Amino acid sequence: MIAGEGRRYAGPLEKVNDYCYRIPKTYKKGMRVDGLIFANEALIQQIVDDQAPEQVANVATLPGIQVASLAMPDIHWGYGFCIGGVCATDPKQGGVISPGGVGYDINCGVRLIRSNLTLADVRPRLGRLVGALFAKIPCGAGQSGSRTFSVEELKTLMREGPRALLAYGLAEARDIEYTEARGRLDWAEPDWVSERALERGRDQCGTLGGGNHFLEVQVVDEVFDDVAAQAMGLSQGSICVLIHSGSRGLGYQVCVDALHQLAGVPAMYGIELPDRQLACAPIGSPEGQRYLGAMGAAANYAWCNRQVLMHDARQVFESVFGRSWQSLGMELVYDVAHNTAKPEEHEVGGRKKLVYVHRKGATRAFPPGHPDLPEVYRPIGQPVLIPGSMGTASWVLVGQEGSMKLTFGSTCHGAGRAMSRTRAVQIASGRRVEAELASLGVVARARAWRGLAEEQPAAYKDVDLVVEVVHRANLSKKVARLRPLGVIKG
Amino acid sequence: MYELIEHTADVGLRVSAADLDELFSDAARGLFSILVEDLAAVRPDRRLVFELQSADTESLLIDWLNELVYVFSTQHVLLSRFDVQVQGARLRAEATGERFDPQRHHLGPEIKAVTYHGLTLTRTAQGYVAEVILDV
Repeated sequence: MIAGEGRRYAGPLEKVNDYCYRIPKTYKKGMRVDGLIFANEALIQQIVDDQAPEQVANVATLPGIQVASLAMPDIHWGYGFCIGGVCATDPKQGGVISPGGVGYDINCGVRLIRSNLTLADVRPRLGRLVGALFAKIPCGAGQSGSRTFSVEELKTLMREGPRALLAYGLAEARDIEYTEARGRLDWAEPDWVSERALERGRDQCGTLGGGNHFLEVQVVDEVFDDVAAQAMGLSQGSICVLIHSGSRGLGYQVCVDALHQLAGVPAMYGIELPDRQLACAPIGSPEGQRYLGAMGAAANYAWCNRQVLMHDARQVFESVFGRSWQSLGMELVYDVAHNTAKPEEHEVGGRKKLVYVHRKGATRAFPPGHPDLPEVYRPIGQPVLIPGSMGTASWVLVGQEGSMKLTFGSTCHGAGRAMSRTRAVQIASGRRVEAELASLGVVARARAWRGLAEEQPAAYKDVDLVVEVVHRANLSKKVARLRPLGVIKG
Repeated sequence: MYELIEHTADVGLRVSAADLDELFSDAARGLFSILVEDLAAVRPDRRLVFELQSADTESLLIDWLNELVYVFSTQHVLLSRFDVQVQGARLRAEATGERFDPQRHHLGPEIKAVTYHGLTLTRTAQGYVAEVILDV
């Protein structure tokens, strides 16, 4: 057994209320703040099954951390930082930036596309539709995209984000408006992205990747908030497409490079770390700035990737339904990132200040009225897209006031794994999982049968429970639940 | 010798060998056994040479495996046989394999990267044992 796997967390856990538990900062030497885990009784029982809470405590030792080391209800054990973690650091108090607090898949995220199609339109052509999506969209390892970008073009994509795709006819102005941060972190510095990362990114823009990444055709199953659903153009029975992917090999390589470069850096700044994977640098340091620049570039590339994937999905719908995507109403609802670190203004101790919010497997969830939101969403709050595990329900939420008070404007990002990949493969083969999905009326196409087994619904926490907690804790509010009809994955 | 070990989000690899050369070679085979379902079916059509230098032997193991992830990701080459010489924090290796052919090879999960988390490389009475976690 590797450290963290199989061992239960045995440290303190104090109940704050029905949706929050505290790890007091007295638990461990070096903790600067408490740890706070948002979960209910049922989820906390699963969460203590591994060492994820210990990781929440470890993150609390990082210099400059503000208020608390936070974890969302979909928390699970990661490398260094847990997945489902949020950590805000203040550059004026020696705050650090850490690649481990963002993850290997920089700006892994989700985008939701609506349509005016109904279940009755799609059901008879579902097999053909899923087959055509699977044929068009490269997924899994070893698959190149149909487009290759030169180094100069790649650098433009990394500097500008999807707005650079307007010139290629791969994006529309409206798409940019409905992407978090308008698809562009403006401090991106493509010149700090290594040649290796560029090489990995050349032919991967517009590829889905493997692991838990997928593209799903979904139907709006139930609406919980009519006003918000209407603002997003969602109604019961309407068909949507959900895309879950990130920065592909380019982003992974940026993280690998950063961890390599940061090897001796914490010691150089007198930072003691309980875990090497927490490697970090002060935000204002040359090393910290270098990572920030490269990470921003990878994040912008990820938005380009999801934009191209959406473009290709629209084309497939056009050919299957014989109408333009505009007449099918295939507009972008929103695109959210769930692996990033960004400077944001937040109130800490009654004062507004700029902090760097690391979200690793957590989603930004700005409340109604926030100036960063597109005008249409200002009255309702930021759309938050929660992909379920493959084949189970996904959720659309909106950010609420509680997120600004409690979690630096953040909420959960998904179901969170509850079972290792090896165990998932042992309990059910990919072919059996496919049969089970088919019995639920879900058409699944995957490159690797093993991948299908690894991502089976039983391997994940119950997404409905996770969503219930963030809803009750007022971090975000339920708007609609989406049910999968067809899924393609690596 | 290598075996896969359980890990909630990712996949772990435990490798034991009589010496470091064998350890690095087996770790590489373990990595490709995750990437492709039938490693034995990979033909030795192409030969690649690697030279690496790191801060220490542990980092060298991570750098070596990340090098292979990079090679697969950019050249789509599956490698199955390795001849590795490790001296301290330096490595020289020759590897043979072939280009990924979707007709004959069934790929497993995509490996994003090899992590430092939970990394161990220890000397035992029989030689060396290492554990690494791969982010998939």
